[in-house]
Amino acid sequence: MIDEWLLEKDSYIPKGEKNSYIEKSIFSMVKTVSIIRENKIKEGIIYHINPLLKVVISILNLIFIAITRSFIYVGIFDIYLLSALLMMDKRDRIRIIKMSLIFPIITFIALIPAILMGNIYNSLLILQKVLSTIVLMSILSHTTRWSDINKALKLMFIPDIIIWIMDITIKYIVLLAEYSIDLLFALKLRSVGSSKDKNKFISSIVGNVFLKSYKMSEEMSSAMECRGFVGEYSISKNLTFKKYDYIYVIINLGMFLLFAIKFV
Amino acid sequence: MAIFVFKEFGGVKMHIPDNYLSPSTCATFGVAMVPVWRRAIIKIKQEVTRQKMPLLGVCAAFSFLVMMFNIPLPGGTTGHAVGAALAAILLGPYCAVISVTIALTVQALFFGDGGVLALAVNCFNMAFIMPFTAHYVFNFIKSFIKNKKGEHIGVFIAGYVSLNIAALFTAIEFGIQPILFKDGAGLPIYSPYGLAIAIPAMMIPHLLVAGVLEGIITTGVYSYVKKLTPEIIYKESKNRIKPLYFLIGILVLATPLGLLATGTAWGEWGAEEVQELVGFIPNGMKNGFNFSAPMPDYGLEGLKEYFAYILSALVGITVIFLIIKLWGKVSYKNSQKVQND
Repeated sequence: MIDEWLLEKDSYIPKGEKNSYIEKSIFSMVKTVSIIRENKIKEGIIYHINPLLKVVISILNLIFIAITRSFIYVGIFDIYLLSALLMMDKRDRIRIIKMSLIFPIITFIALIPAILMGNIYNSLLILQKVLSTIVLMSILSHTTRWSDINKALKLMFIPDIIIWIMDITIKYIVLLAEYSIDLLFALKLRSVGSSKDKNKFISSIVGNVFLKSYKMSEEMSSAMECRGFVGEYSISKNLTFKKYDYIYVIINLGMFLLFAIKFV
Repeated sequence: MAIFVFKEFGGVKMHIPDNYLSPSTCATFGVAMVPVWRRAIIKIKQEVTRQKMPLLGVCAAFSFLVMMFNIPLPGGTTGHAVGAALAAILLGPYCAVISVTIALTVQALFFGDGGVLALAVNCFNMAFIMPFTAHYVFNFIKSFIKNKKGEHIGVFIAGYVSLNIAALFTAIEFGIQPILFKDGAGLPIYSPYGLAIAIPAMMIPHLLVAGVLEGIITTGVYSYVKKLTPEIIYKESKNRIKPLYFLIGILVLATPLGLLATGTAWGEWGAEEVQELVGFIPNGMKNGFNFSAPMPDYGLEGLKEYFAYILSALVGITVIFLIIKLWGKVSYKNSQKVQND
């Protein structure tokens, strides 16, 4: 026998929900995972240039841009970057352009007072340099496999063990982000209306992710030990060059020469 | 102004992008970070067994992800924590140095977040200053209030203070740019805002909002982990570096700030300055001995002024250290002599 009050219809309307922070967290994690997953070698010459060369030359270019005081050099460098962008996959290109516009806009807003105070040349130069730097680094990270970029760091006297740790980091960012996304979705689905406790759960989720990462790393090390890992990790350099690599080097030597002329 | 730069999409940020700082600043910090990284790697090899090495990679991934969790702030916006204080308390300061460094490197290289050349500066602020400050503040408070409450208060204050110290360093790095680097017309080449603008612009949001946020997150996660698995929280081994050395290191790096002060230190006037101050040179000073220092005015010819300052500080400390050591040896021998007699 069911009580009558149980059959009565209730008109419960939960208070306005404030979920934006959960959604934002989920969004930024999904974005990260998708960026890492998207990191594949696609069709096109620029994707197949020797990664070691690409990393070294990109970092040299980065330093030259930081040092130069010439608008013309940065301008010509931008043309070089634009032509590199045109050789890329369409989706990558759009993503890079979108990504690299946000930060210069913020920089511009921040520099308005300095421009108004009369420091026009230097402010515009900073703005242009910020834009070129971001595009340069995005092109590198979009056209090269990240594990290859890591390997190239060996040239900068970074110990093998650190490079290996970085490889693990990138793989586990995906795993832990997926785990966090699940937890955040669970929190979102299981909570209705606004409650004070909900905000507290975020730190519980972070704590849970920490414990999970601890457990995962233990599992991983035993798995590695089972497969014969003794703690040594050595990386070999890939120093075979093809026709395109030489063209790439020649173009960049031209850019270096231009820097040398324009800088003085 | 600068707040806009750091307030990307509502989250207060501390990642310095490239071209805001001069290349020489980045290089100086790079040199400063090398011994820190070296020491961290050596310490980790002692503390962590080889089998636990993957832990560093996974924890770097964790440090990376902590920055992705958005936390609601009053006023409808959201912010995120840096997580370096959390890493320092849960894993120990040396593990935190490496894992936050790797997280920052991944962000700079692959996500365009923070500069590649400015990486060493960012690491200095967030992977060195922040975890060590958090570590020492936490231990200091824990040693005073020895109950559970004290621990939680310690964690909160460690998170709050360490983030603000890191923000202060960031602000100083920005603020010294217009003083040190000018073009021919005297206009700043890099970040154009001086200390008077950079410090309040960085510190106000951090003192009021971001610091509290960092404290809350650090406390929340710490108490959660402590409740479930207290055994994995970092316990300090006995032979640790003394906080004094840490302090000296910071002071050495901060010596170029002396360049900003105008005038001479009180009481350290030269003959000319005395004349300016009192109108005449005392006879004793005029004909007194003339000391030619090996590093006049803390500078060396042909070296940049700020770099020479750091070098001077290092040389000064080495000399003082040697004198104290020698003195200690002499007095030790004397005391032994007395004992033998």
